[in-house]
Amino acid sequence: MSNPSTAPVLAVQNLSRRFPGVLALDNVSFGILTGEVHALVGENGAGKSTLINILAGVHQPSVGQVLLDQRPVIFPDPLSSQRAGISVIFQEFSLLPHLSVAENVFISREPRRGLLIDWATMNRQTSEILRTLNLEIDPTTRVSELMVSQQQLVEIGRALSAKTRVIIMDEPTAALNEREAVRLLEIVRSLAASGVSVLYVSHRLEEVFSIADRITVLRDGRHVVTERRSGMTEQQVVSAMVGRDLIHSTRPNRIAGPIVLQARDVSVDGGLIRNVSFSLRRGEILGLSGLMGSGCSQLMEALYGLREITAGSILFEDRPLRMANPRAAIRTGVGLLPEDRKRQGLFPDLTVAHNLTIGAPPRWFRAVPGILDLAAERCKTLDFKRQLNIRFRGPNQRISGLSGGNQQKVILARALAGNCRALLLAEPTRGVDVGAKAEIYALIDRLVEKGIAIILQTSELPELLRLADRCIVFAGGEPQGELRGSEITQEKVMELATGLSRRATVNSATGGVE
Amino acid sequence: MTRFWKDGSPPQAARPTGPGRRRVATSQVGLMLLIVGAVFSVLAPRFLNPGNLLNICTSASVVAIVGLGMTLAIASGNFDLSVGSTAALAGCVTMSLVQQIGVVPAILAGLATGAAVGLINGLIVTELRVPAFIATLGMLTIVRGAALIYTRGRDIYLYGQTQYKILSSGFTPVLLALAVALVLWFVLQHTRFGRHILATGSNPASAQRVGVRTSFVLLGVFSIVGIAAALSGLILSAQVLTGNGRLATGLELSAIAVVVLGGTPLTGGKASILGTLQGSVLVAVINNGLNLLNVSIFYQDVTLGLLLLAALGLAASYHRRIKSV
Repeated sequence: MSNPSTAPVLAVQNLSRRFPGVLALDNVSFGILTGEVHALVGENGAGKSTLINILAGVHQPSVGQVLLDQRPVIFPDPLSSQRAGISVIFQEFSLLPHLSVAENVFISREPRRGLLIDWATMNRQTSEILRTLNLEIDPTTRVSELMVSQQQLVEIGRALSAKTRVIIMDEPTAALNEREAVRLLEIVRSLAASGVSVLYVSHRLEEVFSIADRITVLRDGRHVVTERRSGMTEQQVVSAMVGRDLIHSTRPNRIAGPIVLQARDVSVDGGLIRNVSFSLRRGEILGLSGLMGSGCSQLMEALYGLREITAGSILFEDRPLRMANPRAAIRTGVGLLPEDRKRQGLFPDLTVAHNLTIGAPPRWFRAVPGILDLAAERCKTLDFKRQLNIRFRGPNQRISGLSGGNQQKVILARALAGNCRALLLAEPTRGVDVGAKAEIYALIDRLVEKGIAIILQTSELPELLRLADRCIVFAGGEPQGELRGSEITQEKVMELATGLSRRATVNSATGGVE
Repeated sequence: MTRFWKDGSPPQAARPTGPGRRRVATSQVGLMLLIVGAVFSVLAPRFLNPGNLLNICTSASVVAIVGLGMTLAIASGNFDLSVGSTAALAGCVTMSLVQQIGVVPAILAGLATGAAVGLINGLIVTELRVPAFIATLGMLTIVRGAALIYTRGRDIYLYGQTQYKILSSGFTPVLLALAVALVLWFVLQHTRFGRHILATGSNPASAQRVGVRTSFVLLGVFSIVGIAAALSGLILSAQVLTGNGRLATGLELSAIAVVVLGGTPLTGGKASILGTLQGSVLVAVINNGLNLLNVSIFYQDVTLGLLLLAALGLAASYHRRIKSV
């Protein structure tokens, strides 16, 4: 990887691809060198997927060509692309879950002895390949029994066994945790070092900057720039992606108002979360942070009536509150932006308007109770479209056609339509692109300014730093400490989240004996 | 809510997007209706007789009324296999009561029976958390048994009760079916309850989080299905002026068939009232036409099955095409 050759192994030249109504790729040209990690970045809808699909033989270019070793090639189908030495590792794996690891690695290329599959050879070679990826598993294990990160390595193993020259990875770390992601990046580096070229498609600029030799940015189907990593800053890449300078916003100084929501010694679901106390004021953002399994998301669910509060009490505007279910929470004035948009937020079959207004209070429904006022719905939807700058064709468009960021805005609008005074935001920018993220942050700032009290649960530390005025860090279902304003730093949060500081204090209290 | 046809795939997996599915399916069934109608009117001259057309409409209406209820159930992410049994039980209850308490009270009693069965279905699904497929499969045999016990396995005849016959004569079934369609269309399009049905079917976890009382919604849906099934049962029993515990056997399958033919996907969240009406007419036309051509009743079942497969196959291939673009 340190010394890539100058001739591109795979290149695209003046590539355009038209779909009915859209020009998904518009005259794109760039090349991938041998043994280089080439990052491809761009917002959702920039044309990354179309480009990958053309290289994979799923789509054909409308104009322009693909060059392999500087000779034009045509991939009429995925098989011919694979035969040419290109492997794509899609976000959704193409492994067959009920077959063994070895069978998946060698699928349709099984080593044979006569008519029969040579199992011994197949298993041995699989082990060898996986060992180069630092994956020590029995090749006869069923793929369905593996963890996601292991499955991904099996996919890479399959690509390697097929003598692949170019591996295309589409958001490979999306489904991995931090440690697994770090390991994957090491593997990508060693692949490049061994002469395989990697086209690394990702949203995550941190990763891109830690791994890429060169970076190509697409925007609206057009090629913006291809540049060596050392020749660009993260800020420049972001600007190239969104086509404007994002105002590098920081957390405004806020003055908090009276207390809206107060928790006193709250425990949830018989000990899942224990002894939580906090008060949330008008016009401030209280962050909840912690590693996976720390209990933050369970606490959010409890505050919204989705889990039982087994001890302690919650006061809403000084009145004791028993939230038996989300319905009661909404009525009281608590809104939720759920953690998992697809599973807990969207109604994929319904229109944008229906998705937006479904949680709305009955006063939108005129005269006869239970009868919908469709005109008012439409009107409100267009109102929110303007206010939150949501992009969609019309209120009757199905929501599944919107980008992640716009879907998220619709769901945020839904929570706001309920006129909540306390808003629970769980992972508000998960799966949205850079531009939408900045907009959502600005929107949250505006809401706080208007006096809404916000609880923010996020696994992204930069997000916490950018938004939260105060932050409670959890570990193992218990609060570990509260940080305020400038105390909220990456180090402090991690220290509390991993329980480091607590152990330190305990140790010093007991004279270091454990 | 478990959906048995999903085969364990997560709820968000590969749900077809875009407006394509429903529109395509409804136009498909409309087109098929035209073609099949044209073929039969050439092959069987009696096909276009006004009397025959009324026959078609009457039999279409009986299935349509159950099918319309079923459309709601499927839109909510469930369905109801007990409708045939419910129709039989309701028919028997009404028949047995007509002479004692009069026609209108007896009809109301029959409909109440249907509502009660539906409510029980709903309670099993929402309170005992039994998947609708299993719950209503159990109720299918229980209610059928109850109908046979109630009649002691014998027929209940009604002599000279011409008043009751009105329910099945002339345009009454057609008008009833249209009325049910209109009411349920209004419910789906213009009421909060209808919106909540679609929301529950589309994503129950989201529905819970926006404050939809999904249990309440499902109780309502199953009760409506029960009432619709009972109404069909009353029309069927009025046709023969007989209460019989074996009435409407297999009605559940035709009801589900017409819903699917009409383009309402089994995955929930969408409903096509107009499609269900068209599907009912299509099935009735085919059965009637084959009758006129003296094709055996056995072949009619085969035809219905093939039709269903063809409709679903076409819809699936259409989506593959959309996806691969």
